[in-house]
Amino acid sequence: MPNAIVATNLTKTYDVKVRDPGIKGALAALVRPRYRQVRAVDSVSFAIERGDAVAFLGPNGAGKTTTLKMLTGLLFPSAGRAEVAEHDPWTGGNPFRRRIAFVLGNKQQLLWDLPAEESFRLNRAIYGVSLADYTTRRAELVELLVLGELIDKPVRQLSLGERMKCELAAALLHQPEVLFLDEPTLGLDLDAQQTIRTFLGEYRRRHGATILLTSHYMADVTALASRVLIINRGRLLHDGELSELVTRIAPIKRIELVLSEPVPRARLEEYGTVAHYAPPRATLEVPRETATAASTRLLTDLAVADLSIQDPPIEEVIRIAFGETEQDAGAEAEAPRADVRRAPP
Amino acid sequence: MKRIRRTMVVLLAFWKLNWLEELQYRGNFVASLLSTVFWLAMAMLTVALYFGHTTQLGGWGYWDVVVLLGVFNALTGVVETVLRPGIGHLPTDVRSGALDLVLVRPVDAQFYVSFRRLDVWRLADVVLGLGLSAYALAQTGRSVGVWQIVSFIVTFAVAIAVVYSIWVTLMSFAFWFVAVENMATLFDAVIDAARYPVSAYPGALRFVFVYLIPIAWTTTIPASALTGRLDPSLAMWAVVVGVAALGASRLLWRVALKRYTSAGG
Repeated sequence: MPNAIVATNLTKTYDVKVRDPGIKGALAALVRPRYRQVRAVDSVSFAIERGDAVAFLGPNGAGKTTTLKMLTGLLFPSAGRAEVAEHDPWTGGNPFRRRIAFVLGNKQQLLWDLPAEESFRLNRAIYGVSLADYTTRRAELVELLVLGELIDKPVRQLSLGERMKCELAAALLHQPEVLFLDEPTLGLDLDAQQTIRTFLGEYRRRHGATILLTSHYMADVTALASRVLIINRGRLLHDGELSELVTRIAPIKRIELVLSEPVPRARLEEYGTVAHYAPPRATLEVPRETATAASTRLLTDLAVADLSIQDPPIEEVIRIAFGETEQDAGAEAEAPRADVRRAPP
Repeated sequence: MKRIRRTMVVLLAFWKLNWLEELQYRGNFVASLLSTVFWLAMAMLTVALYFGHTTQLGGWGYWDVVVLLGVFNALTGVVETVLRPGIGHLPTDVRSGALDLVLVRPVDAQFYVSFRRLDVWRLADVVLGLGLSAYALAQTGRSVGVWQIVSFIVTFAVAIAVVYSIWVTLMSFAFWFVAVENMATLFDAVIDAARYPVSAYPGALRFVFVYLIPIAWTTTIPASALTGRLDPSLAMWAVVVGVAALGASRLLWRVALKRYTSAGG
């Protein structure tokens, strides 16, 4: 499969105004602004095959949105290259824009006072979609997203979840090949989140669309993407299967026990780290390789009613990943701060 | 050709939506109509006060100045209908990041930002203004020939182009300074000078209004066309000024947008 998205050493450096606190600082910044260079995205490279769904994870300010903005052509990179849907995003112009969609969970394109249907029609004009295509696609989106009568109500009367569903429909009427979704489920209730996840999966299967999404919700990632990119402080930390991430960053298994007889905590410590102890339940963390052996010993030595071996929850893996790098990355990130330069006149 | 057709399709789609939106707020219409009538009455009174002391204002008689007042009001109508709700909204879009959603669409961003919204009710100002001009013209007793009508249409189009360019220029500063809503207030203050014929101002100001902030071209020239005092060569120059202003503002827009995409909002 050819690649839908290729990023090569993508880098974005911002000049951020440095300001001392207080009125004196504000005045000084007004008269003679000083700038600090901040690397929002630092030499990020990856490739995504056509038809793949990839999740982009990282804490706030890690560089996810900046990367998406570069890939959609909204920002020029400070260095590096990218190719999206066979176009250079910064010179691709309208032919490029017709092949992508960018949905931002916290911004809306729908007209507030009118039914969503009117915004759909505007998009039909903007993207030059033929009436026949428009009718079929609209019907399909209405069905998959369960929009029903929602599209006839003024947008201001819709709930957040309903609005997001309409936003998605509006963004997909031109049938883009590559979808960039920035926090598409942000702030939605569980039901709406679920609908949107199911929809995105189904849409991708039907049309072979490529999806790159950022999210705070692990459920979005596990439901939609087999592959994750993890970024922190502008650096790509991991690119691979979700399961690989678990093995690499947290090479442990969790053994969950239900004991039929009381066993003191100290006795359990012999088998692994006790992460959780609430008799009759207990959770042990053991190295991945010894998980099976440990389980066998537990079953023979103790009165065990139930036992299961599990991967640690993704949230924890991510936390461990960032927790660890926070310290190494911290030292490096301090270095460029000395690089304070005067703004050119 | 295909591109022009597509642009027209998008433009019609915008305006249809605006019409649908505005129909929900019909109360606006009455309010804006009343405010315009009141404003026009006050402006005429001011002119009448001047003429209580003189018979000429920069070589223009009372009814000639009223013709100009009508042109001024019609032009204000264009500003309120198209410019303020459209390009005037740019600073907000830049700050909120809504501009990003425009930039990812396959449509010229300047075109989109400029014409996506119409405050249709304010078109009444255009009608009222032109009506006042026609009435005042009749009062002067001058006959109106084809040349006057044609040269007025051309120079009024130039006036719109110049005013539009001024707005694009002012609003483009949003890409550098973000909060520039006061630029619209600055425009209001400056354009107010166009309520009187440019010949009524002292020489230095006249120079400024003709060459630096070209508002002389916005009302004095179209009103001159109507009152039959426009030199054909000046009409030609007006077209040159209109095209130059559009070109310059387009250039500035592109530089500004480039800055936006390289600096990041």
